[in-house]
Amino acid sequence: MEQIGLWDKLESSNESREKLWTKSRTFAGDVWFRFRHKPTSLAGLLLIAALLFFALVGPLLLDHDYSQQNLDYVNMPPSIQVTHTAGSSFYITSNLKLIEVGADGTLLQPVPRLQDDFNSRTQTFDYNGATLTLNYGLTPPALVDEAGNPISDIETIHNKDYPLGTDGLGRDMLARLMYGARISLLVAFIAAAVNMCIGILYGGIAGLCGGMVDSVMMRIVDIINTIPLTLYVILISVVLGNNSGLVSIVIALSSVYWVDMARVVRGQVLTLKGQEFVFAARTIGTSSKDILLRHLIPNAMGPILVTVTMLIPQAIFMEAFLSFIGLGVAPPMASLGTMCNDAIEALRTSPYQLFLPALVICITMFGFNFVGDGLRDALDPKLKK
Amino acid sequence: MNDIMLEVRDLTKHFPVSGSKRQVVHAVDGVSFQVPRGKTLGLVGESGCGKSSCARTIIRIYDPTSGQIILDGQDITHLTQRQLIPLRRNIQMIFQDPYASLNARMTVRDIIEEPLRAHKVCATAREADELIYEMLDRVGLSKEHANRYAHEFSGGQRQRVGIARALILHPKVVICDEPISALDVSIQAQVVNLLKQFQEEQGLTYLFIAHDLSMVRYVSDEVGVMYLGKLVELCEANEIYDHPLHPYTQGLLAAIPIPDPQLARAKTASSIEGDIPSPISPPSGCRFHTRCPRATPLCSQVEPVMADVGGGHRVACHLFSQCTP
Repeated sequence: MEQIGLWDKLESSNESREKLWTKSRTFAGDVWFRFRHKPTSLAGLLLIAALLFFALVGPLLLDHDYSQQNLDYVNMPPSIQVTHTAGSSFYITSNLKLIEVGADGTLLQPVPRLQDDFNSRTQTFDYNGATLTLNYGLTPPALVDEAGNPISDIETIHNKDYPLGTDGLGRDMLARLMYGARISLLVAFIAAAVNMCIGILYGGIAGLCGGMVDSVMMRIVDIINTIPLTLYVILISVVLGNNSGLVSIVIALSSVYWVDMARVVRGQVLTLKGQEFVFAARTIGTSSKDILLRHLIPNAMGPILVTVTMLIPQAIFMEAFLSFIGLGVAPPMASLGTMCNDAIEALRTSPYQLFLPALVICITMFGFNFVGDGLRDALDPKLKK
Repeated sequence: MNDIMLEVRDLTKHFPVSGSKRQVVHAVDGVSFQVPRGKTLGLVGESGCGKSSCARTIIRIYDPTSGQIILDGQDITHLTQRQLIPLRRNIQMIFQDPYASLNARMTVRDIIEEPLRAHKVCATAREADELIYEMLDRVGLSKEHANRYAHEFSGGQRQRVGIARALILHPKVVICDEPISALDVSIQAQVVNLLKQFQEEQGLTYLFIAHDLSMVRYVSDEVGVMYLGKLVELCEANEIYDHPLHPYTQGLLAAIPIPDPQLARAKTASSIEGDIPSPISPPSGCRFHTRCPRATPLCSQVEPVMADVGGGHRVACHLFSQCTP
């Protein structure tokens, strides 16, 4: 073959002439490239993944159920103070029960009570024939020896049976948190999915039709938007009956939150429908349905995704709030909001009962907000690298 | 068999001005022409003279204010968009901007498949693929390009994708709305030659809109000159370049750069001065009289009509209507 110099003219039949030298990068690939170069969005994604694992796989690994009560083990904190005496370890619960604890922190059994001497403010317990005396006149209550002095052999160990403690009815906090997170994610994903479907179609149709149709549809949106959400939930739960907490929350969230989505989609469709590729689709003879589904919505996908990821934490928070004020899931089902509510009664003695569900809510919100932020940046064409 | 493929009679398109009920933009005002089967009509004029609006009204992206559009003997002026869909097989459009006219979320295969899908031409995906690959080959692209996205291509390649999309249904009429003005000079010839080649093979009828006069001369059989929404001169392509009659056409032709400096020096100066008037309130009488070097008092009062001055050369100017009473 003849050597071609750098400045020689190529034949027009040269096969490299029409070759594309760039690597093929799809839109999704581009977005993922920008998304993973932002640490906070990756952290958000990891948080959400961890949360999903926690909520979906977690309950399978536990031997406690969310509704299983044990009235002997009420309000047990995650780490317990045990007193070593009579060859074993004992924990005094907040309602003055004595529980034998193994050396590794497993709860063995409650010690049977012999008598309660109200005058000397002592209780006696029978542990395998040995008598243990508990003086609840002291603060905090303590086991005492025969002379009446508190036994000082005290150690703080981790509660192995209930790693995150128990609530006021002796239910496992960890199991309840897992089920609560499950409810939150369920509500969030149902709300997001329903809102996407309704919002995209509604906003898309309003934007595409324009004119009178658009005006009427958007006024309906305005009306829906002005009625407070709590009112909806109360009314819906009245209609659906008493034990319908979750269903009414889901219905209320899905029937209201699509409004934002509809507005976003309508705005996008309005700007996109004046572009040439939409004119081109019209001149080809593409039907309006195909123009909406194949041209307009795929091009509006960026803002739609951002709106959805921003809407999920809102929905989670709204569910927690509604459950907190008592409109949420029916007992014994756990939700992060109802757990917070239950914790209020024992707030002074067992603050961990409020702290833990609040922490899970925070982590969830952080995760989704980080991802939403990252997506918004990744989808912004101005930041294209 | 009708010899006139596309006929436009007195086509008018006025756009409402937002915030005002009375005022309208006179984008297209009483344009009439005929394009015979297998021929090309070039439409030229400066920016904002209504060329693109005219094209978009003919293909019914915009609804005409008045007038008639007759496609292959059928009046399509008053059909609804739904009724138009089957007819759109016969009339297709190639757009000016190859960047904006292709959907960035679609692969080239999807883009070229869209007309087939819209008109349910192919029963199976394999059949569609064959047509698509054949078309890609025709416009000089290869199978490997089918799975790429439009933004990965160069301007010329994209415009060829646009051409493939417009021509895959074998339409009768193709409206080319400045198909080359967004391209490099080196690519323009490539695209124009491709269009001419298709015309020879399939007997296509083109309405070719451009502001590059030399390119229009090369592709067109007939040329129409538009000014401020009106057609001012219409005749056979070489005739208009050799014997331009309307002062506006003369001015346009004088603005073509001549590559020979000696000829350029000898060129008589007949430049048009000033800007194009507002199409919201066009001048009375002849719309060109505000910038016409040969304007008479009559021009600002009476609007000239298109009249044949011999040999099918039609012009709307009082200078010539007086000669032929």
